[in-house]
Amino acid sequence: MPRPAPSLIPPFSRPKSRVAIRRSLSYQSDIAQLLFETLRELDPPVQGKTVLLKPNFVCSDPQGTTNTHPAVIAAARESFLRLGASAVLVGDGPALERDTQAVIESMSLREFLGPLSRVFVDLNVDDVARVALRTHASRLKELYLPKTLLGADFLVSMPKMKTHHWAGVTLSLKNMFGVVPGSCYGWPKNALHWAGINPAILDINAAVRPDFAIVDGIMGMEGNGPIQGVPKPCGVLVLGNDPVAVDATCTRVMGLLPEKVNYLARAATLLGHIRPEHIEQIGESISTVRTPFAVLDDYKHLKSKASSSGRTK
Amino acid sequence: MRSAFVESSFLPFLSSAQNEDGGWGFHAGAMSRAEPTAWALIALLECASTPAHEEAASRAVRFLLAAQLPDGSWASTPESREGCWATSLVCLALHGRNDSSASAMRGLDWLSKELPGDASLFQRLLRRLRLKKSISNQNPLYFGWSWTAGTASWVEPTSCAILSFRAAPAQSLSADAQRRLRMGETMLYDRMCPSGGWNSGNLIVYGGAGEPLVSPTVWALLALQEHPERPEVHKSIQWLESNWQSILGHGSLALALLALHAYGRPGAGLAGPLQARYESNETPWSVPEVAWAALALSGAQDWWKPKSNGKDR
Repeated sequence: MPRPAPSLIPPFSRPKSRVAIRRSLSYQSDIAQLLFETLRELDPPVQGKTVLLKPNFVCSDPQGTTNTHPAVIAAARESFLRLGASAVLVGDGPALERDTQAVIESMSLREFLGPLSRVFVDLNVDDVARVALRTHASRLKELYLPKTLLGADFLVSMPKMKTHHWAGVTLSLKNMFGVVPGSCYGWPKNALHWAGINPAILDINAAVRPDFAIVDGIMGMEGNGPIQGVPKPCGVLVLGNDPVAVDATCTRVMGLLPEKVNYLARAATLLGHIRPEHIEQIGESISTVRTPFAVLDDYKHLKSKASSSGRTK
Repeated sequence: MRSAFVESSFLPFLSSAQNEDGGWGFHAGAMSRAEPTAWALIALLECASTPAHEEAASRAVRFLLAAQLPDGSWASTPESREGCWATSLVCLALHGRNDSSASAMRGLDWLSKELPGDASLFQRLLRRLRLKKSISNQNPLYFGWSWTAGTASWVEPTSCAILSFRAAPAQSLSADAQRRLRMGETMLYDRMCPSGGWNSGNLIVYGGAGEPLVSPTVWALLALQEHPERPEVHKSIQWLESNWQSILGHGSLALALLALHAYGRPGAGLAGPLQARYESNETPWSVPEVAWAALALSGAQDWWKPKSNGKDR
């Protein structure tokens, strides 16, 4: 039975979103306890539910600078199990490297999660079902989506905090490109680009509606992301019950303006909040953790004035 | 050459993973799809000779014939009615059989007429005007085949289409098909990474050299076998020979062995590690990857060679 996606609620009637910013300077720190305590505070409804964690695995990443770090994934998995989830799966469909095994071996994912056969799902080659789109921002009319995704009760987007050469930033909404299976759309999933990247991000998120987001901003990437950029230490984890609000918060942490990010501005009319007064901030304030990220020339307009006065690591 | 491991492990796996409808999914127990069925069929035809395997192959052919769309193409998933790159693989599997040659030729006819989105004069001019050298230095006038209808040309679908045309009886190719073949080869040479080898199709991204990947490199090398004298081919074989020891995925290792066999290079160094990885049995087996491994360990080289119409394999 496909998981019922939450309805699209206009922003004026949507309650405030809750977003937490936590400092975590390295992947060797006790991320599991930090995430568990924060999740307990945010209280996601996962009791007895099947949770699917959707990290960002783009390509082989032996240096740990491109993909969501496995330490964060393992910590999230452990935390959701402690909160009563009946099962916590991890699934992604890498966009460029067809050999998913090579990607996860390069990251030593097995060392963090244990045997992967019952935990990890390659969404690129999962069985699929046709899903009609609820919005028509792009030229896409329907999508074939993995049955593991459609069968999960609670979907968590777990991107890495990065700039992106086609979309400005890539966070929890852009991360949903990874659920679109390569076995239907190829490597890369070029149909999404041809449909228009920004509108396709809206259509996919309106169709699958991630319930929660946890962003790995411990080590981000700036400049020519999502692959060829420069590693950027930022030292934060950002999580919350509204992926749009989480992305807006991350964008501000990166010293950029979410209102100027095309797909975020549009998502604010349909999927979630980006205005600070609609976001209940927990943990660190944005100003104390702001770490300006370099962007390509095409995205200079995203820079906020505050970014020039923010701390630089 | 017949490998005992292929007989004792891979062929029994393929037999047990075949679905009632005669097709294969990407994994045992998964829904039947055109792509894994094509690979399993090729492996059976090249590596097996028992009556049971021949019966399995006949059932697979019936599945594929039933899945062919009215326009001659094959879709990536049974629900879809849109042809895609899997058409090349199915044609490759069906060439040269009494019961399927006509279907394969209809598939090739579709392939010869199927233009990618970047082939239109408007798109080519637009890309020539818009693309700065600093962003990408590939020649926008060249095109091959796309993953899905109406999107851009990429290395793997282009390579597979070329392989499929090359495996057809030479006299059966139309002038259009011959022109497409030559253009596809030109595109592949143009898209080679500066260090040799290929990735999905981006040799330069915002000034950064694209990193080659094993899988697209192997497909391109197999597609370009008629031109072993070309410096691009030499450079790419050298890249593959220099990098196979760092290959982490079973599928990529099998593909590397296939390419080295095709060019008469010693692949003995790869066969042992490939078999050992499957013997360790740490990850679930994928149908296409097992098919590639069976072909590689068997030293099979007939599957990409031209077939005569109506001659059973």
